[in-house]
Amino acid sequence: MFYSLNRIMSPAPADALGYKPLDGGWGWMVVFGAHISIGFAYSTPKALSIFFKDIQEDLGASSSEIAWISSIMLAVMYAGGPVSSMLVTRFGSRPVVITGGLMCGVSMTTASFGSSIVYLYFCIGIIGGCGLSLNLNASLTIISKYFLAKRPLANGLAMAGSPVFLCFLAPVNQYLLGQFGWRGSLLILGGMMLNCCVAGALMRPVTPLCRPSSCAPPKKVEQPDKQNTKIKRSFVKNLKTFLDISFFKDRGFVIYLIGNVMFIFGAYAPIVFLSAYAINQGVEKYSAAYLLSIMGFVDMFVRPGTGLIANSKWIRPRIQYFFSFAMVFQGTCHLLCPLIKSYAFLVVYAVFFGIGFGMVFALIFECLMDLMGNERFPSAVGLVTIIECVPMLLGPPAAGSLVDKFGDYKYLFFMCGSVIVTGGLFLFVMNVYNYRMLAKEKRAKNRERNQSTAENQDQGNVSEAEMEQTEMNGAQQDVENAETPIEM
Amino acid sequence: MSASWKQLLSQVLLLLVSCRHVNTKTPSPTAPALAPLPTNVSSVVLKGKSHTENIQLLNPVNLTLVCIWTGHQNTAPNITGHWRKDGEEIQSSRRSVQVDSQQYNMTRVFSIDKEENLGNYSCVFGDEAKIDFILAAPQFDEDRDKPIISYVGDSVGLTCKMANPDPNTWTWYKENGTAKELISAEPQRYEIKNTNNHTKLLVHNLTEADSGVFFCGAVFAIHTTMRPVELKVITFMEPLKPFISILVEVVVLVAAILLFERCQSKKKVPAGDGTTADQKNMLPQGDDNASEGSSSMRQRKV
Repeated sequence: MFYSLNRIMSPAPADALGYKPLDGGWGWMVVFGAHISIGFAYSTPKALSIFFKDIQEDLGASSSEIAWISSIMLAVMYAGGPVSSMLVTRFGSRPVVITGGLMCGVSMTTASFGSSIVYLYFCIGIIGGCGLSLNLNASLTIISKYFLAKRPLANGLAMAGSPVFLCFLAPVNQYLLGQFGWRGSLLILGGMMLNCCVAGALMRPVTPLCRPSSCAPPKKVEQPDKQNTKIKRSFVKNLKTFLDISFFKDRGFVIYLIGNVMFIFGAYAPIVFLSAYAINQGVEKYSAAYLLSIMGFVDMFVRPGTGLIANSKWIRPRIQYFFSFAMVFQGTCHLLCPLIKSYAFLVVYAVFFGIGFGMVFALIFECLMDLMGNERFPSAVGLVTIIECVPMLLGPPAAGSLVDKFGDYKYLFFMCGSVIVTGGLFLFVMNVYNYRMLAKEKRAKNRERNQSTAENQDQGNVSEAEMEQTEMNGAQQDVENAETPIEM
Repeated sequence: MSASWKQLLSQVLLLLVSCRHVNTKTPSPTAPALAPLPTNVSSVVLKGKSHTENIQLLNPVNLTLVCIWTGHQNTAPNITGHWRKDGEEIQSSRRSVQVDSQQYNMTRVFSIDKEENLGNYSCVFGDEAKIDFILAAPQFDEDRDKPIISYVGDSVGLTCKMANPDPNTWTWYKENGTAKELISAEPQRYEIKNTNNHTKLLVHNLTEADSGVFFCGAVFAIHTTMRPVELKVITFMEPLKPFISILVEVVVLVAAILLFERCQSKKKVPAGDGTTADQKNMLPQGDDNASEGSSSMRQRKV
């Protein structure tokens, strides 16, 4: 029974999409576009910190005032999730990403004329953050539309944009700073972020309705009407679910959310404090900075690699377990860090840190897609990101206060490591429980259905499909919810 | 200012120093400034072949340098020692040094009252041992190697910091050819803000002529330590050029991608039931059963 439990952990069926996803072809261009978009989204807040010292001197701000720029940008990026989900569901990914790219470009360009720190908070923090949040959500959604069989790989490749762009932006920003000062650099950075519009242009919509130029041929005119009503209905449904009550009834979603919150709480503090810890252990300043570069470099290759592994026949059905394993691995790395005293071992730690971090982030959205199915994914990811705002903002300062209180970095690593390990174990145990419960519920439903097979010949197909591939909550909800019939 | 009195005083101090535990190598603290030149003593014991001692001087002082060498195994009864300044032997400083409880001892008083008197003083024991005393005013911690970039019409602040000790005052110079021009405060142009340990020169209404090297000077009684700060003033056209080129690139790429898509979809329309990949995405609803079955089968195989 456990074997069959593992076997049935396949993602929500394609029937919920209403079409068969491409899984290749133009899909890889879409992955490239998502790579660029996600890359800018995650790396810009970090890469901006290179300009902070100069901005601080010019505008006469204190270090904490300057650090708020990044924090506001990240907070808005995450908090904008639900709004972004709504826009993506209504308009599709392409217009949203193009708008996001334009907003980011405008934000950096106007910031370059700034003369006060509050102006920068508004331009970079709020407008830039909104632009990035539009990018992030839409990119993830379009991947789920184009890929199913190869989705973990596509996700891994797209999420790899974050370390790639960080590795690329950091030296570029340094160079720009030396040539043009911080104002000119922000202007040029704004121009570079307009490339998100190119990424958006690549995200060709899959439904026939989004753009008249890519409409279905005339003989399929009747289908667009049905599609139209379907989209309108799902939009209304999404409006209802925007206020998230029905999501919280979903057991799998709540489990995922709790595990994620724990991970995010402990994930960023070690990055923030790694250099400081290394210098504290007697490592020289430049070598300490190298540790983060090593971590980012390893991360770059681990993400697509993890996607490839997760796509394999053996792992894909058990992807939620793989995710918990990745989290436990990451947490264990942190727990072992305080034992490290020499630079060579710190490099080894940085490598393993990169591996763990990459593994988790390659899978983090794939697992949500796996749980929620394509229809509910955009709203789910918006909800997840806005809730993740809280641990993301609280984690590093909480860890920092531990360092201040005890004067020793090891407590920081213990805290982060233990929180992440707990999250991973929680996910593992609760997922086993959840799938057991799902199997039970499914058996009960099948029994009910079999008792009333005579009504509709399609129902026979449904139960056959169901018995062949028992799906996650996504499919269950679709079956329960008459608004989205499996077939029309 | 009786030099001989000063010498006597310094000799007494020397004796006191020698009688104490000799392994210390730290110079004595600076004496407070008195009307005649104050005195200071720096004593170094050398066990090996050479040693360098850095001495920071803020004010003019009569400095006594004491060199004690423990010698090596074959300690000859006497050895010829001499003093050098900046590598050149000081006239009539050569004399014979006697062994005294297995140590060679050289002492000399230097009057450091002008900038030129700062430098590298060495006592040399024959050809075998040397102690360098580097006399200098306090130096800046590190040079800012990158130029400060600012824009025409903007204002910029150039800062210099001196950790310790605090200079008496600060001055600013602009390099003009090979000469240094003193900068004084001008309304709407230059503004100097000083605190004890750092100074800021604000230049308003920048023009391209303002580009160049500025020097901030930390003024001490003995010497003014300078540090260069490079300023580059550029017009807004400079970053605008790469920005415009990136903008053009984005527009071209977006147009190309959308045109390509339009061409592709136009090709598909006459094809009717064409089998291109994109069309598969838009399967009519009736085919759902077959697609559903095949896709779900595919999932399981994955």
